[in-house]
Amino acid sequence: MRVPVVGDLFRWRYARPFLQIPVFVLSIIMIVHGLFGPTLAPKNLATTLSWLHFRGILVLVLLCAGNFFCLACPFMLVRQMARRFFRPRFNWPRALRNKWISIGLFVLILFTYELFDLWSSPWWTAWLIIAYFVSVLVVDGFFKHASFCKFVCPIGQFNFVASTLSPFEVKVREQDVCTRCHTKDCIRGRREPISDLVTIRGCELALFQPSKVGNMDCTFCLDCVHACPYDNIGILSRLPASELIVDPIRSGIGYFSRRKDLAALAIVFTFGALLNAFGMVSPVYALENWLGRMLHVNHEAPVLGVIFTFSLIAEPILLLGLAAVLTRAWASSPRALLPLVVRYSYSLVPLGFGMWLAHYCFHFLTGLYTLIPVTQNAIASLGWPLLGQPRWSLTGLPANVVQVIEIGFLVLGLAGSLVVIYGLAEDDSPNKPMRAFLPWAAVCLILWCASMWLMFQPMEMRATMMSG
Amino acid sequence: MGLACAAILLTAGCSRRVAPPALVAVEHEISPAPARVGPATIGFKLTDAAGKPITGARIAVEADMSHAGMGPVFADAKEEGAGGYKANFEFQMAGDWVLLLHITLPGGEKVERQIDVRGVRRN
Repeated sequence: MRVPVVGDLFRWRYARPFLQIPVFVLSIIMIVHGLFGPTLAPKNLATTLSWLHFRGILVLVLLCAGNFFCLACPFMLVRQMARRFFRPRFNWPRALRNKWISIGLFVLILFTYELFDLWSSPWWTAWLIIAYFVSVLVVDGFFKHASFCKFVCPIGQFNFVASTLSPFEVKVREQDVCTRCHTKDCIRGRREPISDLVTIRGCELALFQPSKVGNMDCTFCLDCVHACPYDNIGILSRLPASELIVDPIRSGIGYFSRRKDLAALAIVFTFGALLNAFGMVSPVYALENWLGRMLHVNHEAPVLGVIFTFSLIAEPILLLGLAAVLTRAWASSPRALLPLVVRYSYSLVPLGFGMWLAHYCFHFLTGLYTLIPVTQNAIASLGWPLLGQPRWSLTGLPANVVQVIEIGFLVLGLAGSLVVIYGLAEDDSPNKPMRAFLPWAAVCLILWCASMWLMFQPMEMRATMMSG
Repeated sequence: MGLACAAILLTAGCSRRVAPPALVAVEHEISPAPARVGPATIGFKLTDAAGKPITGARIAVEADMSHAGMGPVFADAKEEGAGGYKANFEFQMAGDWVLLLHITLPGGEKVERQIDVRGVRRN
């Protein structure tokens, strides 16, 4: 925040809409081109921007900076405009104040993506973006605060989990200043002295800055930064993944070690990364056909259902359950099996993020320049070839170069997970940390080997399975 | 969001299809069959509405993958016999391909046809 220009921008009260407006305009262009542009995915801005550039830039920004996509979220811009006309009246139901709905939606999107080949359909990609806008308006039209962001948004949950590995965090500069503060504007909002009307909003996600730990649930909206009368909140550097090792009570979240929903989110995030990549490689053909024959079905949905159930439920239960049993037996951990699984599941996040990075950056970097001819084509199709005729020969970096980068991400992910596991093991079993470390490290090694195997599989850009 | 995904699930069979104009009929054959990664040949037979072969057409073949991020492959077809054309190109990756035929008829009219080539297999 004290960096020239960038710091000035973030301190500016209208920084968020300033960043949201271009992304919103881009979303509208994607919707229009998706619905009315070329039906072929490689020639459409909706598919090219969504499935190549957005995803690639998103994970790289999360890795190198923080949750800046949520800061520039176009859906929140529309919500904010709508709230000028419709004031939400209800609080989000207490029973739903967890991540289970968003985990379900996250899995549903992964499932729909595979079943209907969303990457190859500009039409459905456009409708997915529209659906997002409508969902935000409906949820936050009825419910107060940032209910959609905190409890519903699957992209947001992805960002929250991944941003635990980011090098920047929104946090207080000096705790003493907060201790002396009586107004707590960062959570209550800055208010007019007499009317008590909120002039600058406090945190909508119930994160009270003095006791906020890490990036979980933080949308980087900067409301707290602008509300603090002492300029005591900033975007500060920190050690990535450090928040996964410690277990203090966190404002708006509680203890990580008691949040089964958050642990499930971390598990789905990690195993979903492998599953999503598995859907793009050759062996998935053989597996689907074999399963189809075994189940005597010709439709892909039940076969995918079996693969998803195995990958996101059976496999984690087997691997993590076994690791928990071994930890109790070898390291005499005082925790029961489920709390052990919950505690150590966060250590999978770096590995999972490494896989998401490798996968998304493969598409992003090998198709890096395709945005140029697709944009040229889109403008030329309007009758104004302002950027010239499309140069379809522009694609991206060579696959062999990108593969080196992919391996780097996977190695980085494994290293991060091992460091987190050891930190947890030292905390959990201070007398026998290595014995607690080994089972979980073995799980990570198995997943890492699977990731490496996936990365070396020939990719098949398929839109059909089950013998086509 | 859930409703949207459910809508996609329920209505996936209803995606739009653009019917091509019936100026010409195109019969095609791709070799090797089934299609595999590597060099491939596509042969066409063009006939008009009355079923007569169309000679003297120019056909540019554009091969795209179904996924964004892949550059297209271009090839020009050569005429071989009455109404017969052939083009050589390369499937560079396994997966689903779409062949676009940009046809310029002898009279100058332009026609486009799309041929889906599903599941090109690796060698």
